[in-house]
Amino acid sequence: MAELLQYLITGISVGMVYALIALGFVLIWKSSSVANLALGQIVLISSWFTYSMLVQVSFPLWLAFPLVILFALFLGWMIERFALRPLIAQPILALITVTLGIGYLIEGVVTFIWPWSVDALPRLFPREVVRIGPAVVSQEYVWVVGISLAIFMLLTLFFRYHKMGIAMRATADDQMAVQACGIPVTAVFSRSWMFACMVAAVGGILISSIGGITHGLVQTGLKAFSVVILGGLDSFVGAIVAGPIIGLAESLGGGYLTPLTWAGVKDIIPFIIIIIVMIIRPYGLFGEERIERI
Amino acid sequence: MRNKKLITAITVISLALVLAALPLLSSACAGPEEQTLKIGITTPSTGPAAEKGAPMGHANLDAIKYINEELGGINGHPIEVIWLDNGYDAAKVVTNVKRFQDEDALLFGTSSSKMMSAVMEIANRAGFPGIVAFNAPVLHRPPQHIYGQMPDYGDDWTAFTRYYMENVWKGPGKPKMALHLLNNPTGYGALDAARAAADELGVELILPAEEHTTDTISEIESLTRIKQQDPDVLYISSTPAPTALIMKNAVEIGLYPGVTIGLGHAGITKALVDIAGADVVEGVYGVFPTVNWGDNVPGMAKMTEYCQKEHPDDYGNMDYITSWAQSLIMAEILRVAEQNVGYDALAKGGEEAWQAIETQGIQKLNYDVEGLHGPVVYTPGDNRLSKSVRIFQVQGGNIVPITDWIEAPLVKYEEFDWFGQ
Amino acid sequence: MNLPSGTRNYTYAQDMAILRTRTHWALFIGFLLLLFTAPLYLGGYWLGVVNLIGITLIAATGLNILVGYCGQLSIGHAGFIAVGAYTSAVLTNRLELPFLVGLLCAGLAAGLIGLIFGLPSVRVKGFYLAITTIAAQFIIIWVINHWDVTGGFVGIRVPYASIAGFEFRSETSQFYLIMGIAALFTFFAKNLARTRVGRAFIAIRDNDLAAEVMGINLLYYKLLAFFIGCFMAGIAGSLLGHWIGFLNAEQFSLTESILYIGMIIIGGLGTIIGPIFGVVFIRLLQQVLTVEVVPFLERTFTMLPAGFATGVTPMLFGLVIILFLILEPRGIAHRWALLKSAYRLWPFSY
Repeated sequence: MAELLQYLITGISVGMVYALIALGFVLIWKSSSVANLALGQIVLISSWFTYSMLVQVSFPLWLAFPLVILFALFLGWMIERFALRPLIAQPILALITVTLGIGYLIEGVVTFIWPWSVDALPRLFPREVVRIGPAVVSQEYVWVVGISLAIFMLLTLFFRYHKMGIAMRATADDQMAVQACGIPVTAVFSRSWMFACMVAAVGGILISSIGGITHGLVQTGLKAFSVVILGGLDSFVGAIVAGPIIGLAESLGGGYLTPLTWAGVKDIIPFIIIIIVMIIRPYGLFGEERIERI
Repeated sequence: MRNKKLITAITVISLALVLAALPLLSSACAGPEEQTLKIGITTPSTGPAAEKGAPMGHANLDAIKYINEELGGINGHPIEVIWLDNGYDAAKVVTNVKRFQDEDALLFGTSSSKMMSAVMEIANRAGFPGIVAFNAPVLHRPPQHIYGQMPDYGDDWTAFTRYYMENVWKGPGKPKMALHLLNNPTGYGALDAARAAADELGVELILPAEEHTTDTISEIESLTRIKQQDPDVLYISSTPAPTALIMKNAVEIGLYPGVTIGLGHAGITKALVDIAGADVVEGVYGVFPTVNWGDNVPGMAKMTEYCQKEHPDDYGNMDYITSWAQSLIMAEILRVAEQNVGYDALAKGGEEAWQAIETQGIQKLNYDVEGLHGPVVYTPGDNRLSKSVRIFQVQGGNIVPITDWIEAPLVKYEEFDWFGQ
Repeated sequence: MNLPSGTRNYTYAQDMAILRTRTHWALFIGFLLLLFTAPLYLGGYWLGVVNLIGITLIAATGLNILVGYCGQLSIGHAGFIAVGAYTSAVLTNRLELPFLVGLLCAGLAAGLIGLIFGLPSVRVKGFYLAITTIAAQFIIIWVINHWDVTGGFVGIRVPYASIAGFEFRSETSQFYLIMGIAALFTFFAKNLARTRVGRAFIAIRDNDLAAEVMGINLLYYKLLAFFIGCFMAGIAGSLLGHWIGFLNAEQFSLTESILYIGMIIIGGLGTIIGPIFGVVFIRLLQQVLTVEVVPFLERTFTMLPAGFATGVTPMLFGLVIILFLILEPRGIAHRWALLKSAYRLWPFSY
């Protein structure tokens, strides 16, 4: 019985990590209908930049953190300006492939600047674990849960009430109408990419505090896709809800199925969930069903 | 166009000339004749494994440079290295080895076991001998033309388990061992050895073994399962980052300190101590097949000198030591073979030269590798060149050796029907 | 048909012909001669590179039919190639069936698996389908890694290909085998594009709802596209397995799939000659870059930063893909078509 509680807690906390990355993805999809397959690599390069600031240049935390945020904003602006703006009206294959190309490019840049592929951030969170009954969870995870929920609240409020947020939703719906109203569509895209990269950077700092900075951050980004699909591509609520669901499925499924089947079953569960969701309910739990007309 | 017929005629004639001349052109590429001995080396200096492959490539070339410049090559014959990068891609390493064969290399060396597994078929079929730095059971069992420079991940397990049984385990009966493996040959190499040798060594394995990926962010769930089984010892065969995460999780759920933990040689590096924190990994055992930088062995001085001179960024990198030793071993093979059959037999290249290298070179090896790792002695039926490792322990944030060279016994994997071929 | 102005087709045979004029035939036969006498003047190393290009071409043509002609986005092609490779390996190694049986079964197995994972294509498209195929790739690789029949994590040995006792040992014999099959499949793809099936694919790509309204059975044609594309991937996988001799699941990664998508986009989607250009371009770039240029640069300029050699290849590839998409989204095939018409119309530019 004690393991059940541990599996539940671990599942929820790991799931919130995925949800945090998924929020960045949903943000870009919601405002420009572009699927950002380079999200894992953006998380990676932000984590390396944080390492650079904290360890290589040894800035104190209060200086390094804003610099990382600025870097993420700059990265988002650059990607949007140089790779996505020329492709504004192109078919979706071109957009997806260009993000794949960007991902590849970022990986190369990371290897170029930091050729040793594994490192660790200095300890940002205290070591002691938080005890919930017989189960334990490390402090980084508590922060992850807190920050994910905070970002979720911020984004939801932003999209509902702020002028820019409403403009983003409008752009996703109908670009031409938005332009006719005088809202600069390019500024909308630019802002959404900048914010998404910022969210990815925050996620990167938290995740690399847990597991170190490795190439595995990219793979964690891939698992976040299953969260996005389950929750619905254009729904923040979906990301926050689906994240723990996938985390629990991994944890409980792995926990109870592994002794019965093969070791490593835990890793394939998110992908099987993707296939099942595609067949049953492609738009996810909270996604908006798109109706297509000829 | 008036000149259309003329243009067509000229195009057709020139194409025909090119077609006829191509065979002649390509065969006329003979290089300057020099009395060299050729070897081929391919390393993953770009691509996903570049952080290991690049220093290894540097070390290979630096060592050959040292031999050519200061020792005059092999009895006056310089060693010519055909060095190609393979980008950790199977298809590329295949084309590289085919090129080595074409250009009459006498033997070839690669760094990683995955690269060697992609080319071992071609090399074995042609009888082209090869040396791989990081070994794996499938490469040298059953023994053919591929030789492993260092003990493989299975040997790590047997050596550690032997040490554990002799020095750490104090109870009656059999200790229970849990395994946590990376989901690739690094991890599963240890499982193969465990399945083959556990009974013999007197250890009870907790099966199925737990598995993890390189990008794992939490192993609390698998460690909870392990904790339920109440093991005495846990063996983790993985790379530094996931190992660090497992260690942190083990401390968090109270599994460690408590059980004894042993690591394979891929995991017990300085990166582990950095990522996990010295307090987490205190007292962890590990197995490693080479010496450390700064140890007092004969080969350390020259290696340090060349490293500082040519590639100062690589100083402190353990893979550099491995590849420097690999080049030394390849040179020694050439030296012994040249001594036994003479230069002319080797210079011809081709199958006879390869056979000579194997039977009169590799299989007559008895070399101490200048103390850089365990001695290299060939025993028939065993294609591992160096079979010894040392046990280390993390003490106060440093990885210190606590034994001398221990030899890992040979495991004949192919006798077990679960061993894939 | 894009005929130059002033030329007319007067018979049905002329209209259907792939090669229309005598010059076309002469050039084509010249090219074939050059290609099939390659073993005479290429050494074993370059012949090996050409073999790799041939294998990649078969898989890329399949992917082109799926993505370029039918518009079904699939970023999991390396997984289907793996299915073909492992099927052939298991059948020839463990069950000791002849090579041709292994080849055919590899294609069929990959086609069936592609069919199964392509089922969602009836409900979803675009990005959703792309994610499904990525998930398919991961599931396939996971099964290969965890199943003893396929050798688990260690891998599986693949014996020589042999037809009726003749073993394809040397690079030259494998060259003829691979090139023959590649030529066959290119011809097949070219004809497929011109028939009813091909036109149905193109209609589905352009607007699948309108195609359905016109009476094209979406389920049948989408699944057929998946089957054909993955069948060819399976054949390519089988040939790859016999060429390398040892298979390991790490050889079929997501990066490979992305590279395949890059190949057909750079070459030109929706054309037959596109994959040829794309495959040759990317494979030659890979070979030349990692095997020749980078070590050369490293040796001459020893002051380069440590990460240069390792980082420059992915950077360059990513940059090439992005630039091609921005500047020439229709690929090299489009440039080639422009070149041909410029030659035809010279000195006029229109």
